[in-house]
Parts: sequence; structure tokens; C-alpha cells
Amino acid sequence: MITKTIMCPHCKNKITIQGNPGEKTYVTCPKCNTKGVFTFPEEKSELKTTTTSFTIEVDGLTKIYKDVTAVNDLSFNIRTGEIFGLLGPNGAGKTTTIKAILSLIHANSGEIKINGFNIKKEGIEAKKNVGYLPERVAFYDNLTPLQTLHFFCELKGADKSVAKPLIKEVGLEDAINRKVGTFSKGMVQLLGVAQVMIGNPSVYILDEPMGGLDARWVKIIREKIKMLNEQGATVLFSSHILTEVENLCDRVAIIDKGKLIAEDTVSNLNKYLRIKPRLEISIPGLNGKVPKVIKSLEGVEAVDAKDDTLFVTCESSVRSRVITTLEEAGLKIAGIKTIEPSLEEAFVKLISEKRGDA
Amino acid sequence: MTGVNPRAIYTIAKKEFLDNIRNKWIIVLTIIFIILTIASSYLAGGQAGGGEMFGGMEETVVSLISISAMLIPLIAIMLGFSTIAGEAERGALSVVLSYPIRRGEVLLGKFLGLGSVLAVTPLIGFGLGGIVIAATVGAEEGLAYMAFIALAIILGLMYLSLVIFISALCKSRMRAIAGGVILFFWAMIYGVIIMGVFIATGGSYQELMSPTGMANLPDWFWASVVLSPNDTNQMAIMQAFGLEHSLLQNSNLSIKIKFSLLIFHLIIGKIERTQ
Repeated sequence: MITKTIMCPHCKNKITIQGNPGEKTYVTCPKCNTKGVFTFPEEKSELKTTTTSFTIEVDGLTKIYKDVTAVNDLSFNIRTGEIFGLLGPNGAGKTTTIKAILSLIHANSGEIKINGFNIKKEGIEAKKNVGYLPERVAFYDNLTPLQTLHFFCELKGADKSVAKPLIKEVGLEDAINRKVGTFSKGMVQLLGVAQVMIGNPSVYILDEPMGGLDARWVKIIREKIKMLNEQGATVLFSSHILTEVENLCDRVAIIDKGKLIAEDTVSNLNKYLRIKPRLEISIPGLNGKVPKVIKSLEGVEAVDAKDDTLFVTCESSVRSRVITTLEEAGLKIAGIKTIEPSLEEAFVKLISEKRGDA
Repeated sequence: MTGVNPRAIYTIAKKEFLDNIRNKWIIVLTIIFIILTIASSYLAGGQAGGGEMFGGMEETVVSLISISAMLIPLIAIMLGFSTIAGEAERGALSVVLSYPIRRGEVLLGKFLGLGSVLAVTPLIGFGLGGIVIAATVGAEEGLAYMAFIALAIILGLMYLSLVIFISALCKSRMRAIAGGVILFFWAMIYGVIIMGVFIATGGSYQELMSPTGMANLPDWFWASVVLSPNDTNQMAIMQAFGLEHSLLQNSNLSIKIKFSLLIFHLIIGKIERTQ
């Protein structure tokens, strides 16, 4: 017999259940009557709760603006407790998808469920445990951050006493009595981050949460997402930068022109997306010949030469070895440029390789 | 719509009130209203009595009607034009709508919150002016004066519902501003348009200008007043002071029209923003 305490994905109520290893149990939350399935782990070691329920279900979502199909028959499911990345280049339909999930825009067709509630028919229940942060946010110029958060606490039915600690948590305590109208863009974004955590939602929907922020803030937001997830929250966030998603998401969906290209774990997608940066090394007198020493160097994926420029595709960790090898071979390097792979390049590779598989 | 949440409506209304009551134009316009009331009273008194004296409430209101009919729509438009379009453009509305709240509740909350801000200006402006008149001239027709203030607020609410409706239809703040300007001009020139239509369809100037001719004006001419909050307001104020004489056959008509119009605007305004 194992005794386990699990958290209701809907109301965050803690439920203690008992069962045998490997046994499947149907659980009904005594507080909010949400039904779920819990499978007891086979061995005692791994204790990460895995319910088979989905927190967000998107089925056949289509949104057409006048003559542009922004989202085209999109379907994907987000499992309870995972960090899910919605990835795609600018204009791929990420924001449209997120807005449709929250019913902020009316989709032409498709069915969306959050925590098992249909967003159109049971919108109030569906949105009860959701925290949403839009890509760009502005609040009310004449209110202070404290008044702003009090307003959102009241809307969510949360205790107003959480407002002050949240403002402290995002580092705005010095501006607590200033009008939001006097805030810089970054400060408003921070207030948005505080807003999203009101009432400890079980689902976070974040639209480009790291977009336009400097490296320090990207790191802080990554850590915040990880922390919220460890506390049991399900996170959906969108991004157009591949490196933002790596090491953070359990699974990602890649969309382009409103269509789903891939939905997989990050490690699986990495096999497709592993595109290395390319070095452009100018060597006077090269005359389009590839030096033999480079060809045989470990870690170098591809080499090419044109006129006085040598193109080397390799991991960035191999970069210095490439340069010393060239210098040891007696070649004079006039300049080096590193071309980082773009997400678009990765998509092209992904699409072409997927076609190759089929 | 089942189970409208009054708490959510109250929360939105409170936010709108706190956010907009600090608008410096509201304070400026309130002061302007106080000055205008006292000046109108002085002017009206001069006209009626021929000497330098303050006029009573009735005379004051007669000269205040047109100025309040211009300023109150202006306040409503100023408060309401960006409340939906502006917030939608800036992203704040998306955040609000991601909370467990219905669109209708947001709209109604905004109407009530902005409406209470709007009520502050005539209430304090005309109210203080009225106290001055009561103290210097006397509180004759005091009840009617209060009705005048109430009607001014109702006029404001009618414009507010219209302008929130326009704001909800417009996709950008700039378009909403244009919509507000058009609404304002509509309010100002409506009477001229209707008179033009009357003449063009075979009416004569004499009918329009003489008191006896007015009694013979066609029904549609009076009914058309429904489309102009300003004119319905003017008639209601006249009724409050017992000045209806030949203008209206049915004494309760304009009040009825006014309230039906208010409800009508509210219903239109509640049409949810689809997009």
C-alpha cells in the first residue's frame, strides 16, 4: 500500500489517496468535484505525480481574419503539470492561438478546454485558475501598483493581502505608491508578472514572457517558470527563440503559418533541430581550397571554401580548436564571423527532414 | 446569461471610478460648471429684472440648458471614448477578460463606474451654484432645479452609453476618438438636420417659428427627437419647470422617451465586442 498526497489541478486542494503500485485510481476532489485519474508509481523511487488528464485541450482550432488564415485546424494537448512551449517564427499564429484558448477572440471553429471546462460554454469555471500575461501589457495610468493588484485580486476573488508581497517579489516595492502611468515599460511588465501570480493559478498562459527583456530578466523569468512548475502548475508559454525553450520545456509544439509542424519532447526535437553555428573565416590566399587538417578535425560537421573564405559548421565549443589548428598549419587568419542558426533555418531543416522520413 | 456576478461589476466600476476621478479635466470642468452657474444666474437676473441682480433658479436653468447640453456630452465622450478601444489596444482588456468575468459584466461595470465620475461634475458644479442662488435669491423652484441636475446626469449617461458602444465597435483608439467627435457634432447639428428635412418635405418656416404653427407640426417631427439626447433632455427640463405649454401635447412623452432611449442605448452597448 502506498499513501500519496496529490493536488487537485483545478482548485489546488490537497487530496490524500491510498493504493497499490501500478494501480489506477479514479479521484474526485471533495472540494470542487473535479474528476481525475491517478496511477500509483510502479517503484517507490520516482515520485513525480503523473495524472493522465490534460490541462489544456485544443481541438481543430481555426481562426480567419478577413482574408488571412491565422490559425489552421490546430490541435494539441497540454498535460497536467508540464511546461509546454508554443514555438514558431513571428506571425506564425502563436498569439492568436493563445487568445483563442482564453476566448479573448472568437475562433471560427474548434473546441478548447481548460481544466476540463469548455471555454465557450463554461468560461467562468475554465478561467478560474488561470494566470495570463499578454505579450505587451499596459495597466491603468492613474492607479498605483498596489491599487492595480487589489483590483485584480478582487476580480479573482483572492485575498488582497497577497498584493504587497507580490509587488516585493518582482522588485517594485520602491514604486508602490507611484502612479503606473509614470512607470517604464520594463516596470509595467514586472507588474504584469506580479498580476499573473495572483491567487496561485494552476495554469499559467504566458505570451512571449521573455520577449524584449534583457538577459538578467530572461534568467529570472525562466527560474520563476521552473519554480511555479515545481509547485505543481501547468505552464504554456510562447516564444520565437529556440534557446528560450531549451532546458525549460517538457514538450513543445512548433507552428508555422497557423499550422502544427511538430509536437514532441524537446530532446526528440533537438535531434531535428540540432543546427550548429557556422564560422566564416577569411584567409588571404586560400583560393577555394579546404585545408586537410580541418576536414579531419573532430567536432566539425561541414567545411566549404570559396575564394578566400572558409566556411566551417561546428559546435561553438570547437571554435577555438578550429582556429588554433588553422594557425598551426601556417595559415594567416584575417577575420572571423560567427553566423548563429535562426529558428527559421531550424524549421526548414525540420520540415525537409520530416519529408525525408516519410 | 445565467448568474450575473454583481461583485465583478462592482469591482470594475470601482476601478473605473478610481482611475478616472483623478483625471484633471474632471476637476477643471467641475470648476467651470460652478462659475457658469453663477454667471448664468447673474446674467439671467440682469435680463429679467433690468438691473444688476442674481436671477432665480428657473431663469438660471433656462440659460444653463444650452451650455450644459454642450459640456455634458463632451465629458461623457472624454471619459468613454478609449475605455474599450484604448484598453484593448494597450492589452489591459485582455488581462481583465482572462479573469473569470463576462464581457457584459465588464461593460456594465465600466458604464456604472464612468457614470459615477460623470455625475460628480454636474452634481458638485450645479449643486454648489444652486446653493449660492438659494442663499442669495431664494430656493424657489428648488425641486425643479434638482430635477435639472438629475436630468443633466441622465443626459450624460445617455451619451456615455453611446460612446462606450462606439468605443467597443472601434478597433483602435484613434478610430474611437473620431467616433466620439462625430457623435459630438451629431448632437450639435441634429436639430438643424431635422428642420432641413422638415422644410425639404414641404414644411414652411412659419410653422417652425410661430407658437401657433408649432402645434400643427407633424408627429414624426416630435418623434424624431428620440434620436437626439440633447433635445429630449431640453424637453424634460422644461417639463420639470412646468414650461411645456404648446410644445408637447403629451406631457409625459419626453420622460418616457428619455428612459426608453437610455435603456435602448444600454442594450446596444451591451452587444459584445466580436472579433
